[in-house]
Amino acid sequence: MSWRLQRVPNVPAGAALAGRLGAIVAALACVAAVLTLAGLAPGRLGAEVIGSAFGSIEGLEDLGLLVTPLILTGIAVALTQRIGLWNIGGEGQFNAGALAATAVGLHVGGDEIWVLPLMALAGAAGGAAWILVPTLARAFAGVSELITTLLLNFVAALLVAWLCTGPWRDPSGRALATTARIPAELPPLGDTLHWGFPAAIAVAVLAAGLLAFTRFGYEVRIAGANPGAALYAGIPVRARIVAVMLLSGAVAGLAGTIELAGTVHRLQGGISNNYGYLGIMVAVLARGSCLGVIAGAVLMAALLNAGIVLQTQGVNTSTVLAITGLILLFTAIGDEVVHYRPVRRTSAAD
Amino acid sequence: MGVPLAFPPGTAADAASGRPPAIPPGTPALVELQGITKAFPGVLANDAVDLTVMPGEIHALLGENGAGKSTLMNILTGIYQPDAGTIILDGYARALPSPQAAIRAGIGMVHQHFKLVPAFTVAENIHLGWSRTPWRASAAALEARTRALAERFNLAVRPDAVVGDLSAGEQQRVEILRVLARDTRLLILDEPTAVLTPAEARELFAALRAFRASGNAVIFISHKLDEVVAIADRISVLRGGRKVATRPAAGADERGLASLMVGHDITLRKARPRAAGTLVSAAPVLELDRVCARDDRGLMALRDVTLALHGGEILGIAGVAGNGQRELSQVVTGMRRVTQGAVRIDGRPVARTDAAAFAAAGIGHIPEDRLRSGLAPDLSVADNAVLRDYARPPVGKGGLFRPWAAARLARTLAAEAAVAVPDFGMPVRNLSGGNQQRLVARREIRIAERVLVAAYPSRGLDVGAIDTLLSYLAELRDRGRAVLLFSEELEEILELADRVAVLFEGRIMGVMPAAAADVETLGLMMGGRGARA
Ligand SMILES: Nc1ncnc2c1ncn2[C@@H]1O[C@H](COP(=O)(O)OP(=O)(O)OP(=O)(O)O)[C@@H](O)[C@H]1O
Ligand SMILES: [Mg+2]
Repeated sequence: MSWRLQRVPNVPAGAALAGRLGAIVAALACVAAVLTLAGLAPGRLGAEVIGSAFGSIEGLEDLGLLVTPLILTGIAVALTQRIGLWNIGGEGQFNAGALAATAVGLHVGGDEIWVLPLMALAGAAGGAAWILVPTLARAFAGVSELITTLLLNFVAALLVAWLCTGPWRDPSGRALATTARIPAELPPLGDTLHWGFPAAIAVAVLAAGLLAFTRFGYEVRIAGANPGAALYAGIPVRARIVAVMLLSGAVAGLAGTIELAGTVHRLQGGISNNYGYLGIMVAVLARGSCLGVIAGAVLMAALLNAGIVLQTQGVNTSTVLAITGLILLFTAIGDEVVHYRPVRRTSAAD
Repeated sequence: MGVPLAFPPGTAADAASGRPPAIPPGTPALVELQGITKAFPGVLANDAVDLTVMPGEIHALLGENGAGKSTLMNILTGIYQPDAGTIILDGYARALPSPQAAIRAGIGMVHQHFKLVPAFTVAENIHLGWSRTPWRASAAALEARTRALAERFNLAVRPDAVVGDLSAGEQQRVEILRVLARDTRLLILDEPTAVLTPAEARELFAALRAFRASGNAVIFISHKLDEVVAIADRISVLRGGRKVATRPAAGADERGLASLMVGHDITLRKARPRAAGTLVSAAPVLELDRVCARDDRGLMALRDVTLALHGGEILGIAGVAGNGQRELSQVVTGMRRVTQGAVRIDGRPVARTDAAAFAAAGIGHIPEDRLRSGLAPDLSVADNAVLRDYARPPVGKGGLFRPWAAARLARTLAAEAAVAVPDFGMPVRNLSGGNQQRLVARREIRIAERVLVAAYPSRGLDVGAIDTLLSYLAELRDRGRAVLLFSEELEEILELADRVAVLFEGRIMGVMPAAAADVETLGLMMGGRGARA
């Protein structure tokens, strides 16, 4: 009697979920094994990691600070997924948004009541502007948005670095390679957390509502599910692509604004902290569901946080990136593995 | 049509005679299904079904839409696992846990909806996912292999053609070749002739007979009873998931089979005379004035088409598929731009090619290819049901979309279309092929305030549903609406239409009253000969 694996095309939802959880556990087990080999105690580290994120109010607030941009960059990707496209440029739009908000924050004086909304508008517009060319190229010339959005990421990062070290350098000379502190700040919510966190959750809920309860959302879902049906129903697919991509860029730009006005308070190189790329992982973990993005962002933030804790224990900073990569890899494997199940080999003779 | 085929190890004489080969007594059945049961949430799709297929047999499977035919075949090809029951191949019980296992066991299926990759060439499609495809192969090598296969099975395909550019009949030959190349002994065809022209169907039947002659078997699903009686050796009927009968095709009659399918006597093809007092409107509701249009590849597909469609009439469009029907149906529904000429609705020229505006003006459209354009298969039944109504109350209001109103409308449509839907949130692809078509037809009839453009509306429907659909078309006419009916079946057109127009190479060859038309003249015109030959 021998056993073999065979592929089944349809997987029940329960098995799919189990596959995902199994993937995360397997990835963490891999990490634990590597840490053990490196001479560290994974059990103690794990307890410390969980304790630091979930064990205290401060830990939770710090977690919230990480969750906030991840929700927004995750939503930026999930939105475009619904119309069948990938915005890989969240990183660039994040930077462009932060940059535009900085321009307002540094140069427009006045009461925060006015300046903050203006910064948010500028940030969203900056993010949208950054995706404008890929959008038009996609909608009117069929140029793949994958490459165009990705390439603009590097341009945005360089632009921010140049501004911070050049024209917008902090004139006081006390801080290097950043702009001056921006006076307008998001109102706090606790010690370190700020109102950007509920704002991000609100954006996720709004995005979910937009897709489920508006005519626009319906048209986007049809256009994403079957462009032929959209043509048949007279849905203007190009216009919807343009709107969704610009909206996606605006949300990523808003992420940059909130990070700037709530957490960092100065424009500096690396402000985007890979949030744009991590947002892709968040959206993949959420399977493109806007509300799922919130859960995906929490998971991703817990991992980032773990990275910070591990760093204090002498583990390399890039470990956390490796862990997130492992989780994504294992998720992809898990999604495939659930299609297989062992069956007894049947031969013509038995 | 004599088909000199050589299916190893059959002889050419066997093949040409088309008779089932003599089977030595004691030969086990090629396939025996025992007590196959399969439930989906809310439906028992197969209920303890037994089915035996002998080598050298063409076995037809009949049943109403949603009776469970495709499900049963998906079980036999390893796509679904049965909840209960046994599959016995050549006398041995076998599990078929995957499509690959079924292929290894010699079972191949051509599905109701084609599964080729449209952007790939024929050769690439044939070799896709095949263990015997060479690891490194140039396009030329694949094409040469495909040519050899095509010769071996005598199926004319062009190896280097892109599948998306092929006609339905050609695509089907590719699908069949793809299946046969994998050493298939049991070929399953799910409604293979629904999209074929009569000539293509005849070719298919010749190929099937040749295939059978070498001891292979065919399971053939179809709603065309005349065809079933002609091609099959035995016929099994499913009703509501249960098998109700298996009988020899010799001596079976269409009426008897139809009543077996529905469970009571039915009368088919009632005459549908005009209701008294139905008038044909004096002014046309829809006019084409010297319209030219290009197809997707940019070639001229409609040339100088002038047509006037009046309220209260059914205008049939006859013609061999691929002569501009697709483009014509798209022009009159606002899906395709005209390069010349004018389209007028109620005498007013339409300014823009906008399918939504046409729909809002009361022009319904049952499209030729429901899966590619009429539905979004992955979205829910409710979402699909409101594809025409999402912008207006009660579903849409002020930019909002109300899912609950969509579900309510979907429930109404499903009830009108006599489609049982256990869950309106499930993807519409889970509905049976015929039930998808019924739903699209009802949705379009509902919005057809002025005109209904019906492209091959009876494709995939069972006999009862065709009957109901044709009655609906007649009823639309009686209410003063106009119907533009595209059909490959002249009988259907002659039975229902008031006037017939013949389309050939993008031109209207002539328009005549249906009463004055006969099959011969129409046939000549469809072949490009003028109205008065
Ligand atoms: N994956 C699925 N999920 C849920 N229900 C399904 C699924 N597949 C089929 N069904 C249901 O099972 C029943 C039988 O469907 P099936 O496709 O076998 O019908 P059929 O006999 O092939 O009909 P048709 O002539 O319309 O093609 C239908 O009620 C259908 O809705
Ligand atoms: Mg079917």
